Amino acid sequence: MARALEGLRVIECGVAGAAAYAGKLLADLGADVVKVEGPQGDPDRSLGPFPGGEPHPEKSGIFLYLNCNKQGISLDLGHAKGKDVLDRLLADADVLITDYPLSQSEALGLDYERLAAANPRLVMASISPFGQTGPYRDYHAYDITTSSAGGWTWLNGWPGHPEMPPMKPFGRQTAYQAGVNAAVATMGALFWRLRSGKGQHIDVSAQECITAILEMTFAFWPYMQTPTARWGQRPIQPIDFFQCKDGGWIFVLCVEEQQWKSLVDLMGNPEWAEWEVFANRLVRAANWDALKPMIQEWVSEWNTDDLYRAAQEKRIPFAPASTVADLVSSPHLKARGFFMEIAHPAAGRLTHPGAPYKLSRTPWEIRSPAPALGQHNESILCGRLGLSTSELASLREDGVVSP
Amino acid sequence: MSAASGPLTGIRVADFTWVWAGPSSTLQLAHMGAAVIRMESMRRVCVLRMLPPWLGGQPSLNRSGYFNQYNQGKRSILLDLSKPEGAQIAKRIVAVSDLAAENFAGGVIDRLGLGYEELRKVKPDIVMISMSGYGRTGPESSYVSYGPAQVPLSGMSSLSGYAGWPPMHVGMSYGDPNAGLHAAFALLAALYHRERTGEGQYIDMSQWESTMAVLGEGFLEYSMNGAQPPRNGSRVPYMAPHGIFRCAVAQTGEGLPDDRWVSIACGSDDEWRSLCRVMGQPELADDSRFRSIADRKANEDELEGIVEAWTSTLDPFEVKDRLQAAGVAAFPPLMNRELAEDPHLNARGFFVEKEHPEVGVRKHPGIPWRMSETPCEVWRAAPVMGQDNEYVFGELLGMSSDQIADLVAREVIR
Repeated sequence: MARALEGLRVIECGVAGAAAYAGKLLADLGADVVKVEGPQGDPDRSLGPFPGGEPHPEKSGIFLYLNCNKQGISLDLGHAKGKDVLDRLLADADVLITDYPLSQSEALGLDYERLAAANPRLVMASISPFGQTGPYRDYHAYDITTSSAGGWTWLNGWPGHPEMPPMKPFGRQTAYQAGVNAAVATMGALFWRLRSGKGQHIDVSAQECITAILEMTFAFWPYMQTPTARWGQRPIQPIDFFQCKDGGWIFVLCVEEQQWKSLVDLMGNPEWAEWEVFANRLVRAANWDALKPMIQEWVSEWNTDDLYRAAQEKRIPFAPASTVADLVSSPHLKARGFFMEIAHPAAGRLTHPGAPYKLSRTPWEIRSPAPALGQHNESILCGRLGLSTSELASLREDGVVSP
Repeated sequence: MSAASGPLTGIRVADFTWVWAGPSSTLQLAHMGAAVIRMESMRRVCVLRMLPPWLGGQPSLNRSGYFNQYNQGKRSILLDLSKPEGAQIAKRIVAVSDLAAENFAGGVIDRLGLGYEELRKVKPDIVMISMSGYGRTGPESSYVSYGPAQVPLSGMSSLSGYAGWPPMHVGMSYGDPNAGLHAAFALLAALYHRERTGEGQYIDMSQWESTMAVLGEGFLEYSMNGAQPPRNGSRVPYMAPHGIFRCAVAQTGEGLPDDRWVSIACGSDDEWRSLCRVMGQPELADDSRFRSIADRKANEDELEGIVEAWTSTLDPFEVKDRLQAAGVAAFPPLMNRELAEDPHLNARGFFVEKEHPEVGVRKHPGIPWRMSETPCEVWRAAPVMGQDNEYVFGELLGMSSDQIADLVAREVIR
């Protein structure tokens, strides 16, 4: 088998981007993913970004990015005949991934007990903002809601500016995290199924996916009864941004003492670097207000890229605050073939982030662009399920399948 | 002490990882019942053990809450990989393992004689992942990187921040756990392939690239319109209001922060109408400045001012309760103490409280998923350094106590 997940039949049924990212991770390693959209299409089709800012259901950037390599059908799951088609698809599927809110997934019949009675080998991953149980299970949530409930936005702000609000990081990060967690758990369940023959149900909480990755900040409560600061815990220094001569920003970072020694050397061994108040990473953090201006003065003499290279030359882990333009033209990323040009019939050729990992025997790959709404209705309903063309026509007439 | 449980029971992991990214990947495997053996060393102590918070506030290698969070359910041995004999012993562990993981800077694992080509000689179907900052190939492959630097390097900083402010960090070293999760997925996909075909393989992962994988919308926007998406705080183009609003100052005392906030997001006109009703200003819903999403985006400063005028006299949890009852997405940004005491997370049994030899019972976030047939459970707290020397060298590798004593005397193991 040339692909790690070749032959794996996945049904993805969602509205919040998390199921779509889980589906993408599986599809890009070879799984056969059928994306089930409602008659109006995945809500991601209306989020953009759009070329020229003009909304168009086939040109939404987030949709195009998350749905390469998938086949798409459009099905009204509010209609009994729509539910029946989905049941037939699930009867011989390996995996169902869904992120409908709980109230909706119950109404749509996406109930594990019922589905498993027909297909005991089914692995079903239900992603939701707060999980399937507990007092908040029915809460309404978007990315900013779970990012706050999970503890992330509280940490996200500017050091020394507690008057500024907590903030959401760029992108729908709770959807990405819930998606990758669901994909990890699904692979664990699929491995167990190879040995046991049995499927199972997985409950993924987006809130918990965020609380599980808050660096050292959570532990400050149980270990030291210290509440976390909104601008993040910085127990060591330097670990901060500085502006360079050319206006670019460099991230100055020394984790290990050896790296600080190398930085002092790169700075030309100024006398102040020997002061006791900067003797180790913990006291440098305690005296950061004094140290920061001295580093800033030195950084100001450099252009961003020169300083980045000079630091890395000495194995100090500096990094530039890359713009998107910097990244798509990076010689290193080019040499690794990271970015992919993907042609889409409606949206044209666009540059996507590519493989997050390179598997030596079973490569990550893009086989097809994101599907148009209902593009694979006929091939899936007639080809896979064996409906006749007149049965499909009658489903279309009833508005169950569109177009 | 109960045994590990979960779908990966019977799978063993030779864990060469350290700091945060690598241990985040093997944590997921431990969560699912794999036996994870962390090879630690006194010569290169894991950075996390040397970072706070430490119980009691004083630096202590076995008392770091940071280390203890991301190494739950793993075993630890102390083995000096820089000695040829140490590397040989590591290979004996690999020979009885299914997966191997490392996140040294590019090239280091090869210099230790523990690269994939060496490991497959002792275990032909091993699945191995390297997850260095920059990946195994390319002109910058030997560059050094840590999670905090991945946030700016990946473009996330230039995309995140207050409108008109400089690029920003995002409050945590997001590159690390994100790389760890992606690495765990890649390892499990390759393990699935091995189970079906008998073939092992090598995975080259770059933390940089896996961070860019979760910034898709930023790259697509650039590709479509040729411009850097501007930093815009918590605002998004497709919802309004969508932000974090100031609430009444808390009367907490106890040295806790007193500034309080609540996130509110309206994804539809109906949700906006509900928000107006709860705010006691139902007429706002039909105000021409705010009727549609386009109207609200066009008058967003004014809109946010009105919402904040309402929230600023209220407790954030009261705002949450009232808005959730009306079907509006709202939740306060929780700080660590509030997470630890959150009734929902506690009702779901999310937190893990296992006895640790040096820190006793501390609350740790646990496993963000539940499985119906193979329940996942953290079977024990994170290990103290070398806690499992006897089990691994004696029981697993079958060394005699004399052999172990000799290796200890020569500081190959500690």
